[in-house]
Amino acid sequence: MTEIIVVTSGKGGVGKTTTSASLACGIARRGKRVAVIDFDIGLRNLDLIMGCERRVVYDFVNVIQGDCTLKQALIKDKRIDTLYVLAASQTRDKDALTQEGVRRVLDELTADGFDYIICDSPAGIEKGAHLAMYFADRAVVVVNPEVSSVRDSDRILGLLASKTLRAEQGNGGVKEHLLLTRYSPKRVASGEMMSVDDVKEILGLDVIGVVPESQDVLTASNAGTPVILNEQSDAAQAYEDAVARLLGESKPLRFIEEPKKGFFARMFGG
Amino acid sequence: MNKPAEAVRSPASTAPLEIRFGQVGLAQVRIRTTDPGAILDELTGRVATAPQFFERTAVCLDLSALEKEPDVAEVRAVMDAVRRAGMLAVGLAHGTAAVDALARALDVPVLTYFRPQNRPPPVLQPADPQELAVPTLMHHTPVRSGQRVYARHRDLVVTSTVGAGAEVIADGCVHVYGAVRGRAVAGARGDVTARVFCQEFYAELVSVAGVYRVFETIPAELAGKPVQAWLSGDDLHVARIGS
Repeated sequence: MTEIIVVTSGKGGVGKTTTSASLACGIARRGKRVAVIDFDIGLRNLDLIMGCERRVVYDFVNVIQGDCTLKQALIKDKRIDTLYVLAASQTRDKDALTQEGVRRVLDELTADGFDYIICDSPAGIEKGAHLAMYFADRAVVVVNPEVSSVRDSDRILGLLASKTLRAEQGNGGVKEHLLLTRYSPKRVASGEMMSVDDVKEILGLDVIGVVPESQDVLTASNAGTPVILNEQSDAAQAYEDAVARLLGESKPLRFIEEPKKGFFARMFGG
Repeated sequence: MNKPAEAVRSPASTAPLEIRFGQVGLAQVRIRTTDPGAILDELTGRVATAPQFFERTAVCLDLSALEKEPDVAEVRAVMDAVRRAGMLAVGLAHGTAAVDALARALDVPVLTYFRPQNRPPPVLQPADPQELAVPTLMHHTPVRSGQRVYARHRDLVVTSTVGAGAEVIADGCVHVYGAVRGRAVAGARGDVTARVFCQEFYAELVSVAGVYRVFETIPAELAGKPVQAWLSGDDLHVARIGS
């Protein structure tokens, strides 16, 4: 059974691509066959984070338009041999993606026996984001502990519940998970940042991971090594926990401190 | 509307079919334009707000609100727009002789409105039975930012939360058994007796029959508390329930 997981957020810059890369690595490291697809046509980034940017010959759009086979376009990771990357096209725009084309690629990956397909969604709610989520079985909604990101995530959750194949078929819909990134327990404690519980309460969903704000993320991106592979890092351990929870294990949340008083209580004095 | 059907049975139970007369629920769409684009846009929006309620719903087209009688091509385009929006136009509402002619040309039935006087006199209520039969619109999943749920001619009950930037609207009362962070609008067609009730109040805007109040900051005595809003004269009151 192939499971299609979309990593999405609505808002840009919250860590979708970082999360896609780390989840894909983490799952593949456990022996599963994983393909990670960059849906951000025209703003290709995933290949950089994965460190395979100089090996991109064919891309997602080439496969959809029949310029090459899927096998030719899949880039095998050099560190983990069950992990493959399908890069976005840098020279096209989002209109190059079609629902039929995306379906064909996903079907082919499924037939090829991949266990997980991770779809790295572009920001926004336009065509690219829509197609990235349309065929998903599960969704990881990446959210920063900050009001605009939370609102955009709420919007995306609304779309997941209405504009996806599973929602249209009415068979239970897409399973939704929240992943908090750039979390700073210290700033939460001082009341500058929303806490995990604030975000959970507003969005009404459980949290599959909390990734602390970390210098290592930027370093990892620039080096082309997904941060999860840097074992020393807090962020890596947090992503590893998220992978475990995604695969059904239960783990207590780490890297969060119990806030003394909630965001709303402070705001409204309740 | 679901009365036990009266059956005209064939003498032998082995007959290839059986004809039954009964009543079924049918949405009526009264159109004010024959522009298929406008109808498609509006219906798609409505269907999106409550897909489980509207999708593939049988629809009876009511042409009586149009300024002039439409022609066959126009009505066909409208029916096509309804179908593309996800609902199914199954017939035309009873009206003038022109409607009968259109229905014949389009090969669809003319559906007669249920008329109260055809029923045995109601025992207690003088109210229109059609109104009594409309059930409350129930919504059990979170209303997310950007979504809008509208209960036409009735109350709305939401058993989950209403996110910031979401809208819950009813021609009757709005009840939310959860937190409201978006907008709650009761009496959308001017019913001044309608009210808004919610379990946890953080709303951006509350309105009853067009009188609204924007909450730029939420008063401390209301934040997170069970709250109701109602009209008294021209004033919109918003207060805690049970205090």
